Formats: sequence, structure tokens, C-alpha cells
Amino acid sequence: MAAGLNDSVAAPVTFTGPRDEFFGRLFGGYLLMLPTLGVYRFWVTTFKRRFYWSHTVIDGDPLEYTGTARQLLIGFLLAIAFFLPAYIALFVLSLFAGVIGEIGYVVVLGCLWFFVGYAQYRGRDFRLSRTLWRGIRFDQKGSAVAYATRRFLWSLLVVVTLGLAYPFMSASLWRYRYANTWFGDRQVSFEGTWRTIAGPYYRAYAVVAVSVGLVVGLGVTGNLRMFALAPVAVIVLGGLALVYWRSREATRMFSAIRLGPARVETTIKARSLFGQHLAFGLVWLLLAIVAWFAGSAILAVAGGAEGTLAGIRSISTNGWASAAFVVGGYVLTVGAFSLLSETILDFGWWKLVAGGSWIVNVESLGDVRAIDEDRSTLGEGFADALNVGAF
Amino acid sequence: MNPLARYHDGRVSAARDVTFAITRDTVTPEIIIADGETHDVIDRWPIDDAFEVHGLANRLRLGARGRPDGARLSLTGAPLVEATRKLLPALKNQQANERREQRRLIGIASGALFSLVAAYVFGIPLLARALVPSIPPEWESQLGEATLAQIDQIIGYQGQVTFCDEDPDSLANRAIDRFARTVLADAGSSFTPDVKVVAAYIPNAFALPGGHSYYFSALLEQTETADEFAGVLAHELGHVHHRHGLDGLISTSATGLLVGFVLGDMTGLSVAGGLGAALIDTRFSREAEHEADAFAGAAGARYGFDPAALATLIERVAGDNEAGRFFQVFSTHPLTVERRVALEQLPKPPPGLRAFSDEEWTAIKLMCDRFS
Repeated sequence: MAAGLNDSVAAPVTFTGPRDEFFGRLFGGYLLMLPTLGVYRFWVTTFKRRFYWSHTVIDGDPLEYTGTARQLLIGFLLAIAFFLPAYIALFVLSLFAGVIGEIGYVVVLGCLWFFVGYAQYRGRDFRLSRTLWRGIRFDQKGSAVAYATRRFLWSLLVVVTLGLAYPFMSASLWRYRYANTWFGDRQVSFEGTWRTIAGPYYRAYAVVAVSVGLVVGLGVTGNLRMFALAPVAVIVLGGLALVYWRSREATRMFSAIRLGPARVETTIKARSLFGQHLAFGLVWLLLAIVAWFAGSAILAVAGGAEGTLAGIRSISTNGWASAAFVVGGYVLTVGAFSLLSETILDFGWWKLVAGGSWIVNVESLGDVRAIDEDRSTLGEGFADALNVGAF
Repeated sequence: MNPLARYHDGRVSAARDVTFAITRDTVTPEIIIADGETHDVIDRWPIDDAFEVHGLANRLRLGARGRPDGARLSLTGAPLVEATRKLLPALKNQQANERREQRRLIGIASGALFSLVAAYVFGIPLLARALVPSIPPEWESQLGEATLAQIDQIIGYQGQVTFCDEDPDSLANRAIDRFARTVLADAGSSFTPDVKVVAAYIPNAFALPGGHSYYFSALLEQTETADEFAGVLAHELGHVHHRHGLDGLISTSATGLLVGFVLGDMTGLSVAGGLGAALIDTRFSREAEHEADAFAGAAGARYGFDPAALATLIERVAGDNEAGRFFQVFSTHPLTVERRVALEQLPKPPPGLRAFSDEEWTAIKLMCDRFS
């Protein structure tokens, strides 16, 4: 930030989206997903992107998202045609006993893991090629297969090294993504290396490792009272370490993005990110209490004068009532979780990143020229079908 | 003085402050865009080519056909936006058309999905039934063997289950084996049963595809009569005979696919997807329960036990504690009112006929005593 302020041409990125409006429209969208059996989610996604993009203003001009729900729908249908054979293969494998089945499963899961990287890259391509700023389109080049291969091999190494190789993987993937990103005819570059995030990562890693080590130590020495409290301590310490590291990684990696002479300066405070997670947890706690009382009330009504237990009994002995109870509870829980995490965590993250960013030397972006159109729809469909969609 | 706006030409990333005017009296009405300072005309958009793109409230963003995709004229301020909209009435029609088009698309897509769900609800049970007979029983037995190892891993200690009575030639084991073999053989089943009475804390009994069946010591402890025991066993063998395990596997896969369609996650790797599929299948497994009950009823009439005793036992186990009652909602074989009625309407056994002799039942009842 200091560099940004000394420089007279640093332009702030601002995010002006009101959270209540976002929540209201998202809520309406979720309700419409019920009668459309989920089809409406493509329209919800398009709404969200339009909202985020158009409220993100860089040097006075907002981003514009030009993608449509129809493109997402078509992409999803194409992805299904691709995944159906894989799905049937998984089913047939599940019928096989012993070694053949196990090897088959490992192979299919490995392929899926590889494909997640492919889908992430294609999804990013879809979003970037539908993003305009000052009338100029972004784009992503490079190869999704090359990206997925890197990600796959790095992730194996990270597992083998118990996570110690993570900064190398992170830097490699960020570099591949950003070095292949274009704004018009200008190529983005990425100056981060593993050293950029090594400090915060290994500090967070040490906190988690030491606390896990302590728990094991307590277990060995047989101090049972302390041992019972240990998991709580590990979750709290681990959570804090995770939030600290995530804010530092984003701060340093985003700040390593260059676009010719222009560059990004991002500052994300760990305590702001922690506050969001705390808020998310508290809202959940509140909802759980409300749900408890609502559930008890329903059972009391169903049980009539005989009380709650009779209610449970009457619901459990009626086939349709119990199915409605179970499916309704499931839809409510999944819906509420998704809605809340989108409104609190995803929204909060976008706000932190956008609101904490500056573009230094923004005037150097005045002569970027547009390049030809690129209209791929398939990529985003894969991301949806693998559940790796981001924003 | 013409109003001010922001303009991008879609070719170069420069942002220009411009003024614009809308002429309606010429042959082709136009939006004339001029530089804000020099007032030189930059571009002229025929108003029929102009279209609105998404923007914030109190803003109007226009693009134009025949211009670069990124060409934009952007106006800010409610009075200006309103006045401009009035001069460009075509925008309203475009928006209405667009909205109609979107609604049509949502309608078609949801309709297609609804027919898919209908095909699933009515078609998959039929499909599974049609497929199951064409899958060789040997294959199903192999599937059962594969599951067997996993089950033993879960309920046993270090992968080894503890048999209540290890001697296969004991009175109890011989009686159980005789009963199970006769019931399946007389039904014309191609499977050979293998009933294992094992030590476990959960009151439960179940059958795997191919004939391996389990009866847990905790359930035997609560089983009070030979009729209850024979009822449960015959019910589980009914699942084996009707090949419900395989049937369920096919149906579950189809449900996973359907939930994948609705939630978007085709792989079912997410918790939401997997849980949803499992819950929907809970509903559809009830038909299989009725079939297994009917099988037990037929066996009861032949070998002499009252199938309604099955209901008595389930009620006793479920009524044992409040949690048990609650979890019946999630159970794969809950005792619904309909099911109890159906069980009681099954034919009663002819008098004098008994599935197990008194000595046999006493031996079975005492099998797991060392674990209680």
C-alpha cells in the first residue's frame, strides 16, 4: 500500500455491492430453484457474476460480465454427455470384487482428480473471456491439459511431502494461470515464487504441526483431562493458522501480478477474514437454535395432546410424512448452508480482495487494444459438473 | 448543452468523457456521440442498432450492433437515464423479448428435467427389475463376497467377526442352516444361504446379495419367540431371493445420477449429492420391504410361524428407547402403519406346524449368552 500511495497514479479498486440486496436476490433465486428442480441455478450464477462484476469499479469504470445463463446451461448439457460414460464405468466397477475393482476405483478417482484441474482452468477461461473493462475483453490462453497435469503431479508431491511442498505448487499454478492471462493484446505476468509465501505458510504449518504433536504427546503421557480438551485447542489454533495463511497468501500472490508497467497491490487483513468466519459460525449457531425450536413445535403439533414423543412416533409410522420430513429437512439444510456461505464467506472474500486492492500505474493501461472473440462454452460446463465452480 | 456520458470504443482501452444527442427527426434516427471537450463527433449509432447491457440501478449501459463488442456508452443518474429511455422506446421491447426468451428456456429445461424425474420414478424400478434377471447369480454372489470382507471389517474386531457359536454342527447352527436352506430352496432360489449369528451391540439383522446373512447378538437378546426369529430370518432371505441388493445398487446409481443433474455435481463426490441420493433411496426401498414381508408370510404358512411376530419384534426394538423411535424415520425398514397392517393380514400358519422345535429354539436363544 505504501508504494501505491507514494505513486501519484495508483487507482483504487472499489466494491460497492450492498450485501442485503445480494442476499435478497439470491434468496429469491434459491426459491426458484425448487420448482425448476435446480435448473434456475444457471440464472442465479449469472446474476451473481453480474452483481460482483458491475459493482467492482477500477479507476472509475466497472467490470462487465457478458456471459449468459443459456451458455452455462448448454455447457452443462455437453458436460453431462461426457460424464455419463464415466458414471456408468464407476457403476460397473462397483460390481467387481477384489483387486480389479479396487484398481479400477483408484484409476477412475485419479482421472476425476486430474479432471478437476482441467475444469477449473476451463471455467476460469470462460469467466475471463466474458469479462470487459473499458470495453476490452480479458482472455486466458495456455492449455487446460498442461495446467491439469501440473496440478495433478504437484498435488501428488504435496501429499508425499506431508504438505511441505505446497508453496512450490501454489507458486507454479498461480504463475501458469496469470502468465497465460491477457487483457486485450497485453499479457499479464506473475512475479511470485515459492519464497513469496514460504514464510506465512511454514509458520502456519508449524502451528498446526506443534499442536497436533502436543495432542499426541498428551495421549502418550496419559493426561486424560487435558487430552479431552486438546481437539478443541487444535481446531481453534488450526483455524486461526488457516485464516492467517489464507489472507497472507492472497495478499502476496495478488500483489505479484503485473500488466506491463501496471501492477496490483493487495492487502487483506487476517483479522477481517477471521471476523467473517466468526460471523458465519455465530449465524449457524443461531439458526441451529431456531431449527431446534421449530422442529420441536412441529413434532408437538403432530403429537397433539400426547406430546413430542408421540409426534415422532406418528411421523415415523407414516411413510409419506417421514419421507417429507427427511427430504424437506435435507433441502432446507443444504439450501441454508449454501445461501449463508455465499452471502457471508464468498461475498466477504470478494469484498476483502477487491476493496483491498490498488492498481499502480493504471495510466499505462490506456492504449491496450482489443483482440478477436473467443467463444467457448464447454469449459464452464465441466466446472459445474465437477462442482468446482468459483464465483 | 448535451448530456455527459462515458464512452469506450471497444478497440482501445481508453475511457472518454463524451456528450451525446439523440436525433429522432432524421430518416435514420441516431445517437450522436461527441468528444466532451472538442465536441468533434466520434461515432453515430443508428438507434435501432442500440441495445442495453446489464448495469447498476440508475445507470444505463448501451452497446450497438455493427460496432466492436466492447463499444459502450454509459450514462449515470436517474433523471438522465429515465429521459434517455423515453427517447429509445425499442429498449423496452428488447428487454421484454429477452425476458420472455429466458422464461421459455427455463420452462423447457425444467420441463425436460421433470420428465426425467418422472421417467426415473416410474422407469428405474422397472429397469432394475428387467436388468436384474439378466445378471448371472454367480456374479451377484461374487458381489456379496466382496461386500462380506468390508462388512467383517466394520462389525468385527480387526476384520474378524466373533461367531456366537463357532461349532457349525451344534444343534442351533444346524437348525438355522436347515431352516434357511429349505426356505430358499423351496422358493426356487439359485442362492445358497449362509446365516451368521455374531456378537454385536446393535440390534439388527441384514442380508447381502448372494445369501450371506447376519443376525446380531443384540437382536437375538430381544427376540422372545421362535416365530419372531423365523420371521426376521425369512424376511432377510426374501431380500436375497428377490435380489434386492442388486436391485438397490442399480436404483441407487440412477438416483445418484438424478441428484447430480439437479445439484450439478455429476460425480456425487460432494456430501450433499451423496446424502441426497441416500435419502431418496430410503423412500424407494420400502417397496422391497413389502416384498420381503410377503416372502416371509409365504414361508410362515409353509413351515409354521406367524409373520406378524416380525412386527412385534421391530416394535419392541424401536420402542426400547426414544432415540430408537426417532431414528426410525431414517431407517431403511421402518414399521409404518401400512406395513404393520399388511403383516397382520398375511395368512396365519396351520396349527401344529412349527419352524423350530422347542429344543432348537432354546439352543438358538442361548447361542450368544456369553456375550450379554
